[in-house]
Amino acid sequence: MYKVLPKTDLPKLIGRWMEQATVYAPVRQGDFTKFEPLSDPAQADLYYAANTRYPPKSLFLPQSEVMFRVKDGEFESTEDEVSSRVILGIHSCDTRALQLLDGVFLTGDYQDPYWAKKREQTTLVVLGCADPCETCFCTSVGSGPFDKRGADVMLIDIGDEYVADVRNEKGQALFGHLPDASRKQIDKSRQVQAAAAAGMKKPFETEGIKDKLYSLFDSDFWPKIQQSCLGCGACTFLCPTCYCFDIVDEAQRNERVRNWDTCMFRIYSQEASGHNPRPTNTERVRQRIMHKYAYFVELYDEIGCTGCGRCVRYCPVDLDIRQIIRSAQAWEES
Amino acid sequence: MNQLTFAIRQEAARILEENVVDVVIGFEVGTLPLKAQPAFITRKEEAEKLVYNGFCQNNLAAYLTRRPKEERIGIICRGCESRAVRALVIEHQHDRDKLYLIGVPCTGIIDWRKIEREVGENTLQAVEEGDEVIVTTRDGEHRFQRVDVLHDSCKRCLHPNPVGADIVLGDPLPEGDPERAWAPVLEFEALPPEERYAYFVQEAERCIRCYACREACPMCYCTECFVDHTTPRWAESMITPSGTQAWHIIRAFHQTGRCVSCGACERACPMDIKMTYLVDKLSYDMVQQYGFEVGASDEEQPPFAAFTLDDRNRFVR
Amino acid sequence: MNDTWTPRIVVFQCQYSLYCEADQKWMDTQLPPHIKLIKVPCTGRISPLFVLNAIQGGADGILVSGCQPEKCHFKEGNLGARRQLDEFRRFLTYLGMEEERIRFAWIDLSERGRIQQELADLEETIRTIGPIRRLVTRAIPVGEKL
Repeated sequence: MYKVLPKTDLPKLIGRWMEQATVYAPVRQGDFTKFEPLSDPAQADLYYAANTRYPPKSLFLPQSEVMFRVKDGEFESTEDEVSSRVILGIHSCDTRALQLLDGVFLTGDYQDPYWAKKREQTTLVVLGCADPCETCFCTSVGSGPFDKRGADVMLIDIGDEYVADVRNEKGQALFGHLPDASRKQIDKSRQVQAAAAAGMKKPFETEGIKDKLYSLFDSDFWPKIQQSCLGCGACTFLCPTCYCFDIVDEAQRNERVRNWDTCMFRIYSQEASGHNPRPTNTERVRQRIMHKYAYFVELYDEIGCTGCGRCVRYCPVDLDIRQIIRSAQAWEES
Repeated sequence: MNQLTFAIRQEAARILEENVVDVVIGFEVGTLPLKAQPAFITRKEEAEKLVYNGFCQNNLAAYLTRRPKEERIGIICRGCESRAVRALVIEHQHDRDKLYLIGVPCTGIIDWRKIEREVGENTLQAVEEGDEVIVTTRDGEHRFQRVDVLHDSCKRCLHPNPVGADIVLGDPLPEGDPERAWAPVLEFEALPPEERYAYFVQEAERCIRCYACREACPMCYCTECFVDHTTPRWAESMITPSGTQAWHIIRAFHQTGRCVSCGACERACPMDIKMTYLVDKLSYDMVQQYGFEVGASDEEQPPFAAFTLDDRNRFVR
Repeated sequence: MNDTWTPRIVVFQCQYSLYCEADQKWMDTQLPPHIKLIKVPCTGRISPLFVLNAIQGGADGILVSGCQPEKCHFKEGNLGARRQLDEFRRFLTYLGMEEERIRFAWIDLSERGRIQQELADLEETIRTIGPIRRLVTRAIPVGEKL
């Protein structure tokens, strides 16, 4: 169902949502934007050019999440601290990432209650990318700037208005009262979508990437490409699909917390005995790439990368995942 | 291609061919127009890949402690890199005999953040032309004066010329002005304490603890960092103020008398956190208290490693 | 200053620094509850992290007590500590902490009763500058023990 919303009416609409829910939107902080709860609709900065610097996965899997507290010898749950939320202006790549992570946290034998609760309570109002960045490569990994999977509502900017593609009841609750979009407006939104995807470069082919990477497992490829990697966690912490965490008891705070962890750190795989199954940076770089482009494909039949380009832009040494996949595809054992 | 790039390629090819070194660490063209990539050249023919320009933003000395111990390394050394090499040799982290330093006087690194702040995030091409940087984006060409877009650390640079290099390519540059170098520290110090603390809190709270600053730093080479200790845990593991502030304070403090002021930490930070103002204070104190500057000589130990009975006795009143 | 407020003080003490047995005994058994004693084998053992942890946890004042420079049990442990902790105090001051919160006492053989005097002086100073406000990140409620 297509609805239409003049851009000038957006603050009013946000205000309306704010009465019932916490509304998150990109808010400018210095040179970048970050998803923050709004206290005033005017704070929302929907025209942020690239993606938000800090990935919105943090709204579902906070970097440091308190799992429970201990007070006077009693356990105290923190689970009830989530209320109804709207996330406005999240891009398709980040939405896709949440959907991929649902596979990790919600399928299989165990469900993650912390993740499930936040997902249930949240409505995603996705803003399609009319102008993808140079570092974006969503079209190469089976997605696109207007990928609607995972979206409750998809907003398409057609100039003075947004066309809102309302996808389900959650979206209906937020947009249902608006007038329907005209035939002309819908056509215009289709043009915008097609133009954005067509303008994107395709830096690599993903066909057969899983098997190719498996065949390279013990190859000289990894020692070669890892040389410039410093082993920091910038790529994985900014990544919308990286979900590893480490559970820690913070005794001074009486809390059990889980913090983001990253396979790029040496201590990530360090065992209590002192043995480390991924002893060098080579294995760690291999793990990061293979998890996204081979193991994830194996487990969920999807590439575990959504092409948001954050790791490309903020890698301190410009170790570009697009280049790695391209060279992996082209690599011939000598 | 600029003359320096040409000279570097020639020298790299020569030392590889004459088997002086096993690998040459330099830079090659990156995938993003405003960044060059570190390159590891092992064959003479590959030396053609090397480039040198203002977009070479990493401190290559950070790789020395990551390479196999027995390897003989040729490394492109600007002022900061050469001083980091000296400090690493003094701290027994590398054997000077296994290194071949290709010195390059440095005119400063171009800060991609400063450029993107002006032109937005879609740079298609960037070139240096004399004193200008020409950046092409989707909406056309933008020209910058090189000096306006240099990284802050480079603007303050005291020693652009490499020290103790085996060969120096390019003409020596005038040394930096200490007054300009220490001005930010003194200005910060002159602020009221609550403002200083507020600034520190505001910077530290963006930290995501990816430790890019640590990894990009040539002097952070500990096998186990204090934040990685789990038994006992020295600093809170979370991204709470306790955790991030402790990280920034102690990381900086461990660099006392060892930091070469290259600014690699700040350039590496994905969250644009300012941190050179911390270590610069410590470096300033080391100059004031002990007359010590990193890389000034090839044997003097950093102040915290060398202590004497004659130290001015500030503990006893 | 508020009379009901008692400053919380942490003492890092080198176990060899108190030559007078009565002083050491007083430290070990009779310290008032707002002062916490942490004994270390030598001041050289005091990592700046210990000091930072105390401050983040809400200590209003810190006393570092060690041996005279030439009388270190381990020959030069205190010399290293002297350079480091002195600089660390200057660094925290740079970040907005009041310098007087960290005090050093190098105690000699003949200085019986000096440690009590130092603690009293530190407490007096802290009372005039008030509770710590900056760099405290996980303060425990006022009145609770450290």
